[in-house]
Amino acid sequence: MPLALPDLQAAFAAHVTGRDRADLVACIVGDTISADARLRIYRHHVSHSLSAALAATFPTVQALVGEGFFRTLAWGFMAQTLPGQPVLAEYGAEFPAFVAADEPARDLPYLADIAWLDWALNVVFHSPEGRRLAAADLAGIAAERLPLLSISLPEGASLIRSRYPIDRIWNASQPGASADTVDLGAGRTDLLVLRRGDDAAFIVLDAGEGAFVAALAEGMSLETAAEKGMSAEPAFDLSTAFARLLTLKAFAASQHNLEG
Amino acid sequence: MTKTRIAIASALAAAVTAAVVLPVAAQAQSNMEKCYGISKAGKNDCQTASSSCAGTSKKDAQTDAWLSVPKGACEKIVGGKLTTG
Repeated sequence: MPLALPDLQAAFAAHVTGRDRADLVACIVGDTISADARLRIYRHHVSHSLSAALAATFPTVQALVGEGFFRTLAWGFMAQTLPGQPVLAEYGAEFPAFVAADEPARDLPYLADIAWLDWALNVVFHSPEGRRLAAADLAGIAAERLPLLSISLPEGASLIRSRYPIDRIWNASQPGASADTVDLGAGRTDLLVLRRGDDAAFIVLDAGEGAFVAALAEGMSLETAAEKGMSAEPAFDLSTAFARLLTLKAFAASQHNLEG
Repeated sequence: MTKTRIAIASALAAAVTAAVVLPVAAQAQSNMEKCYGISKAGKNDCQTASSSCAGTSKKDAQTDAWLSVPKGACEKIVGGKLTTG
């Protein structure tokens, strides 16, 4: 009994992600290769392709847990979430949340944050660089108006706030990294992930800078953001932090940014 | 303007002035990690191992399922095991 096309497609999608569908197998003509075996080729092909795509997008997660464990994670994720569009680089947005909820990965509580970092780097790598806010753009604005400006992050940029030293974990997971250990007790990190030229990059922020950038990313004014920075870190040096971020071209030069 | 706003305004203005004159070399000490390099480009190619569709592999992909334990750089991350709370 043939399946209607939408049912056939749904059965095929279910089958390739590991849910055996006898009704689908019954639709396939076998010869020297049985229908079952034919379908397994597709299942293998899909799982291998998507697993490879996830490994390319989450290289630090894979480096941390090894290929075998990563495949297990990837296979579990694929069973829940297939690509919703054809660009493999855009597959995996839900993977960090999946890692956070994964029981076997619980022993590595920092792993989900690393997955967020890998994803943020992937997103920003595929985002346009855009024009960035330069100090000269602000030089003509009266000082008393500066606190009222709301300035935004560049397209695709994001702030990752972790309870763990994920910058050091990231470094320790790169090919050729030294064998030195990383102490999780080193504490929290805020990373600003943004595109720089042809590369994706992150800037390590201290607690005050992290609160400052987080507030700006939420659309708050420079004044409110400065207050957030100071309440997060009493020693927050607004002038130094803002100069550093401007020099690193960490903000977008949108019309909105300049008009306040 | 409140006293706080005046302080914030002058700190921001000082930052703008400093950033205008700051040499680009200052960026070198900026605690910035470059992450990908060009090796990342083009990763959306159809990067599928040919063996997976060669017809010889009709078994499900090995997933190491529940037997698997992490075996990677996580050995270097110490001091935080089982601190999910």
